[in-house]
Amino acid sequence: MIRADAPAKLEGRIRFGTDRTRPGMLWAALVPAPVAHGRIRQLDLDPARRAPGVVAAIGAAEERALLPGRGAEATPIFPGEIRYRNQPIAAIAARSLEEARAAARAVRAEIEPLPLLADLDSVLPGWPEEGLPADAPINAHVRARHGDVEGEFARADRVRRDAFRTSGVAQVPLEPHACIAWIEGEVWHVLTSTQSPFGVREDAGELLGLPPERLVVEGSWVGGGFGGKVAALVEPYALLLAAASGAPVRLALTYREEFQLTRSTLPARVWIASAVRGGHLTARTVRLLLDTGGSLPGRDFATGYAIAFLLGPYRLDAFEVEGYAVRTHKPPFGSHRAPLAPQCTFAADGHTDALARDLGVDPVAFRRAHVWTAGDRTALGQEVGPFGAAAALDRARALQEEWRRSMPAGTGLGVGLGYWSTGTGAGGEVRLSLTPERLTIHEGEREIGSGSVVRGLVAMAERTLGLPADRIVLEYGDTATAPYDAGVFGSRTLGALGQAVGAAAHELTAELGRRLGAAGPARLGVEGDELWAAADGRRSPIAQLLTPGERDHGGLLRTGRHYGRSGAIDPARVHAGEFYAYHDFTASVHLAAVQVDRETGQVTVLRYAAIQDAGRVIDPPTFRAQVEGGVAMGLGTALTEEMLWGPDGRLENPGLLDYRVPTLLEIPPIEVIPLEGFPGAGPEGAKGVGEPPIIPVPAAVANAVADATGVRLYELPLTPERVARALMAR
Amino acid sequence: MGFELVAPRSPEEAFRLLEEGAGAASVLAGGTDLLFDLDRVTTAPRRVVSLRHLPWRGHAWQGDTLVVGSTEPLYELERDGSVAARLPGLHTAIRAVGSRALRHRATLGGNLARAAPASDLLPILLALDATVEIAGPAGTRRMELDRFLLASRTTALRPPELIRSVTVPAAPSVYLWQRVRPANDISQVGVAIAHPGPAVYRIAVGGIVPRPRRLPGAEAGLLSDPPPGPERVRAAEEAAREAPFPSDRRATEEHRRRVVRALVERGLVHLAGGAA
Ligand SMILES: Cc1cc2nc3c(=O)[nH]c(=O)nc-3n(C[C@H](O)[C@H](O)[C@H](O)COP(=O)(O)OP(=O)(O)OC[C@H]3O[C@@H](n4cnc5c(N)ncnc54)[C@H](O)[C@@H]3O)c2cc1C
Repeated sequence: MIRADAPAKLEGRIRFGTDRTRPGMLWAALVPAPVAHGRIRQLDLDPARRAPGVVAAIGAAEERALLPGRGAEATPIFPGEIRYRNQPIAAIAARSLEEARAAARAVRAEIEPLPLLADLDSVLPGWPEEGLPADAPINAHVRARHGDVEGEFARADRVRRDAFRTSGVAQVPLEPHACIAWIEGEVWHVLTSTQSPFGVREDAGELLGLPPERLVVEGSWVGGGFGGKVAALVEPYALLLAAASGAPVRLALTYREEFQLTRSTLPARVWIASAVRGGHLTARTVRLLLDTGGSLPGRDFATGYAIAFLLGPYRLDAFEVEGYAVRTHKPPFGSHRAPLAPQCTFAADGHTDALARDLGVDPVAFRRAHVWTAGDRTALGQEVGPFGAAAALDRARALQEEWRRSMPAGTGLGVGLGYWSTGTGAGGEVRLSLTPERLTIHEGEREIGSGSVVRGLVAMAERTLGLPADRIVLEYGDTATAPYDAGVFGSRTLGALGQAVGAAAHELTAELGRRLGAAGPARLGVEGDELWAAADGRRSPIAQLLTPGERDHGGLLRTGRHYGRSGAIDPARVHAGEFYAYHDFTASVHLAAVQVDRETGQVTVLRYAAIQDAGRVIDPPTFRAQVEGGVAMGLGTALTEEMLWGPDGRLENPGLLDYRVPTLLEIPPIEVIPLEGFPGAGPEGAKGVGEPPIIPVPAAVANAVADATGVRLYELPLTPERVARALMAR
Repeated sequence: MGFELVAPRSPEEAFRLLEEGAGAASVLAGGTDLLFDLDRVTTAPRRVVSLRHLPWRGHAWQGDTLVVGSTEPLYELERDGSVAARLPGLHTAIRAVGSRALRHRATLGGNLARAAPASDLLPILLALDATVEIAGPAGTRRMELDRFLLASRTTALRPPELIRSVTVPAAPSVYLWQRVRPANDISQVGVAIAHPGPAVYRIAVGGIVPRPRRLPGAEAGLLSDPPPGPERVRAAEEAAREAPFPSDRRATEEHRRRVVRALVERGLVHLAGGAA
């Protein structure tokens, strides 16, 4: 059995958030704002209250009444000023879903429309050539610089400048956001489909003004997250409705709402210039405008992280980056598998590829000549640790030559190079309990589908304790009972919680060794139904090593914690905003083979290889699935996926018909090539691979299109129409 | 919203059930289009009349003409080698509809009744001069497909009439299409060409408003057999000029014209024995 959750999932027995119910449960519907920016003059909930089956109808006034203890500075859940279209302005709980929806349609709102900031082009048309207007709606400003930038550009014998545009993309989990909320005395409870129960407790607690001990969050099985289920979204509405109605309330987004309300990657504009002297890349400057939608100032997490990817993983003598997070009337920016890294890498790596072609140098060799190896410094001054990029590029180059010989004429080959860091920083803790029959891993995360919990953590226990998987059980619990963990995101689960399993296992085997009277740690094993421990030639059934208390109450317990440390950046290089240091350095080098129809612009990916710097592969099938999934998802970003907003702030393609994720029929054979030997921040030197494999996909595909046609695309996604237009323009 | 599902065993019973439910009753064949209507609160029907038990399923050749029962799932046509051999354009168009899973349910009758501007089946059926057999309480009538299609989602059906069958004369034919995503996406344009006899070419396009249509101007210039290069180019250019393409979120008018030009030329090359 590869995955313990597979049989139940295949047979439809797993209950995701959308499948859960509670006795006496009411059904909820949200009332969407009919404009993208406006002030609510009056909200009339009476027609909804009079509608059949309705138990509670709430808006901003009811919210204030329900949360008397909340501080005055808190952001309201139901807004006075609408910040994006379909933002919930009221919510209904009723005895049936149909009744809740009918009542939601009956709500009357008088709204004063306000001027709309639709997109980056209309908000900041002139930047970076022109300065910023004084009243520019800026959420964040970042700027960093090092070296003699102007001098390097003046001395350059070749300069290349490019401008790129990227689109908003949605996470598209098959299960929409769904939760059930109920109140027990002073304690508010929510069962929700989330990547981070503790994160939801923090977010929702802040919005509702509830301290951690008064809000309990339990995760359900998650039908896909991809970053979209990291922060609270539906929970505050359901909790308020539960408080207002006195009954459990279920709130699940419709699939249309899932698109309209999701917090995801929004459009960006990028400018990159590079200076080359004597064949050497010496300096690079970068400008970034990032649409952060209805995000609130001070909540930007992406700009400083993303902008560094635009410099590429290269040694540079001088650099300057500057970027703005811009407010528009869209839903807030949010996480999406390696937020913005695929988009930034499309720009940075495409620019580098084009620069090499300008110079008449093989693009892979050009990258290879400049890429970081251990001991180099990043632009921000952090020392680079073990990094597999150079080795992966060598591998890609050999593969490319092989493909070049065997594939039909006209095939374009492109290499993409991306990098990432395992996000072990946020804390994680697990508790192991050993009984005569089994080992139980108590932890706070539900499996989100990637296998990082049901497989990754179990594999770590197998490796560190020597027990077979069928003797290892996962026990989840809620935020009141489970050990703290930051969440299943940032490619961190194995890196952080896996280390915590290792640490707890270490304590456990040391204690068993002591109880055996041995000098060192014990090994565990199974015989028949019983577990045993052995050390220094002594061996005993576990049953005989436990105290009576342990035998009666949950076994021998040990806790493991992990809080990873990152390196440090050089603060002297940072001039504005926040930049971040990495925990490790993870390279992804991809090779794409494409065919381009020169008349229709259709790009067909024929073949694909992904070389993944893995540090150490802990569980080969899970590793492979993550890399294949990342490539498939990246092909969507590269070729077909794009959220289209109208000038009125309306999302024009809120559904799977016109928001096109790749189907199995478009996904080519993917060769997955693990690269070991460059250890990272995870257990045994493993590197997180949840996010990295999506990162270089758009770059590899666009570079392959350039190779096939001689024409470079500067805007994602590479739809047939964009490609055909670029080919015509030549 | 709740609805009542009924599955009559005879056409007469179906007509009666539809007339009783007038205005709030819908016809269900494979359901792949209707499913979207059932989700729209404002237009959702109160009664759904399934055609599954009507004796209309199946397809058969009558000489050189294929007669397809309206409730025949597309997959049954797809897997019949005689359809691929004698109506290659229709076979390609069927394979272009959604996914295989979808084609196990989706019917030919449902596609015609829906009369979608972007249908992949309407252009090839127009090019092949298909006729529609319509059954109603007063008996049956036949109509050329070109007259049956009125506008987007509007046909000559008068409730409670139903499509009973579709008749398609065999001919060398080809269907080419363009989408953003090759599978399970809506075609931006579809180009169908039938070549029923010497120097006769019938060209139809989809992805246009108000509905797919023939392009007589482009057809008129094709006088030779096979048409030489310049004749093909002229026909392709005329096709791109003649069709009333829209600009919408799926493609601009300019892109549709560019692609139609390319696809008409490729289709003609293909029918002349070259590669498409
Ligand atoms: C994911 C997906 C992908 C799709 N891809 C394509 C595609 O690539 N190309 C394409 O052309 N279409 C596509 N479609 C549309 C659809 O599958 C076809 O139009 C299909 O042929 C409809 O047939 P049905 O039997 O499912 O019709 P239904 O949904 O059952 O009915 C459609 C309409 O026709 C009426 N109707 C059905 N049968 C009759 C009859 N005998 N007499 C009178 N009225 C009738 C119904 O009342 C309804 O209004 C796609 C649909 C989906 C969901």
